[in-house]
Amino acid sequence: MLLQLLANGLCAGALYAIVALGFGLIYRTTGVFHFAHGAVYTVAAYLLYLFGATMGVPTIGAVVIALIGAAVAGVLSEVVVYRPIARRISSPLATLIGSFGIYLFTVNAIALIFGNETKVLRPGVDITFSFGPIVLTRFQLLAFLAFVAVFVGFLLFKRTQLGRLLLAFADNPMLVEVLGWNTSTIRIGVFAAGSILAGIAASLSALDVGMDPYVGMSALLMSAVAVIVGGVKVFEGAIVGGILLGIVQSLVVWRLSARWMDVFTFIILVLFLLLRPEGLLGKAVRLEEAR
Amino acid sequence: MNYLFHILVMIGIYVILTQSLNLVMGYTGLLSVCHAAFYGIGAYASTLLMTGWGVNFFVALPVAVIVSVLLSFVVSIPSLRLKGDYFVLATLGFQAIIFGIMYNWVSFTRGPYGIPGIPIPTLFGFAFDSPASYTLLSLGLAALVVTFIYLITSSQFGRVLRAIREDEIATQALGRNTVLFKTTAFALGAGIAAIAGSLYAGYVRYIDPTSFTVAESLFLVTILAIGGSGNIQGPVVGTIILVLLPEVLRFLRIPDTIAPNIRMMLYALALILVVIYRPRGIAGEYGFE
Repeated sequence: MLLQLLANGLCAGALYAIVALGFGLIYRTTGVFHFAHGAVYTVAAYLLYLFGATMGVPTIGAVVIALIGAAVAGVLSEVVVYRPIARRISSPLATLIGSFGIYLFTVNAIALIFGNETKVLRPGVDITFSFGPIVLTRFQLLAFLAFVAVFVGFLLFKRTQLGRLLLAFADNPMLVEVLGWNTSTIRIGVFAAGSILAGIAASLSALDVGMDPYVGMSALLMSAVAVIVGGVKVFEGAIVGGILLGIVQSLVVWRLSARWMDVFTFIILVLFLLLRPEGLLGKAVRLEEAR
Repeated sequence: MNYLFHILVMIGIYVILTQSLNLVMGYTGLLSVCHAAFYGIGAYASTLLMTGWGVNFFVALPVAVIVSVLLSFVVSIPSLRLKGDYFVLATLGFQAIIFGIMYNWVSFTRGPYGIPGIPIPTLFGFAFDSPASYTLLSLGLAALVVTFIYLITSSQFGRVLRAIREDEIATQALGRNTVLFKTTAFALGAGIAAIAGSLYAGYVRYIDPTSFTVAESLFLVTILAIGGSGNIQGPVVGTIILVLLPEVLRFLRIPDTIAPNIRMMLYALALILVVIYRPRGIAGEYGFE
């Protein structure tokens, strides 16, 4: 029983970890608290629905379209909103307010077009696989495999020239610019990559349990919490935080009920902000080093 | 005529809400996204007192304010030491926790079923049961709140808050306990929001948790961003525009099923445009610059 719960938590956490990695990537490198990451997530889910369910595009093709759509949505928010704000004002809170705007606009546009009710892509019960005492559905397995692929891909990417450039950009964008790199191109790349990660998780979750226009909000909140819990300064923090959240939630569902899941998640957030704001993997830094 | 009174009552309630958020966001420069939680705490506290113990509205209201102020310390004491985005996230967390409690603790708040049959406020035998009298109550309280905010923000206290907003470390260097000032501003904001909550509960006479969501908190931030914050007129201008806009849409005969979405899209668009082109809002003094 406990093993099964841990496995469920791990698979739920795998999806959180993927979205959170995207969110953390954007937050750490560009400094934008990308609230509209939730909107990007919703856009991907609904593109999958639009092409997969209503136009009859094969699932793989629809997923690819959803990922491209997510990347476009992420890049648009950078180009249309964040860049003009950054040009005029310096406070990150102004960017955050702009991000609220993108989120509200997108989600209400989707609700207007597709309606508020839940859409499902897959009727009935999913195929299951047994591993000894643990039973997993096909999509739980897929979520876990996607997570492993993303994680390995990310570790490899970090070792490439581009990966190191990104780390450098996160630490000091100005210096990277001095070295002759175009920082706005880097930012666009970061938004595209982060949004594709959100799209992957959104597609998997949409294929499994369906969607409503507000799925993005909880995905965003989970990933923001995961990033804080794991540690903002370290990209891997998002992954650790996401998995941990998934497992904790699965235990809460077991001991209490699913209704208290959100409350517990945010109690964890508040405890971390209070006691260990640098996160599990982070190191405490002096004020002048923090950004 | 009753329709006009209804709009005026809502403007009164929202002026109280936005002015109290103004104290936190506009004067002190703290972006808080849990203001709807305090609005809800006020509504639930006074409702539970009125329906459970038969307490008079005008006794329940100050008690609700005190409850809200006390709960504000739960957020402010840990999170006011945090900076920027972290503070926003902590308030978002508090908002989600309070909503979760209102929604899930069914034996205490009746959860999603809401609480019906809230009594009409009465004062010395006079019942505020007509639209005109409730308008008077709502706008009267709003005027009191505006006066109070005006007085404290033009005092030395208000100047310290503005100093914290512009440069917290410099203010500390000048010997001010900035955390104490921020905590006080946050507590006052929370307490005043509870007045709006009680007023709302006594007006609609049925409350449920859906009036006090994250979306509502974001809506309040939107009003301040569009109208402007950091002075007295900004929030009033923002409130009047954003409360009247849905009524304008109603005259354009947009079907009720899609009207809320269209409205939110317009708000969001205005929010984005304001942040890019006019960070101080229509009539404000401060815009996170």
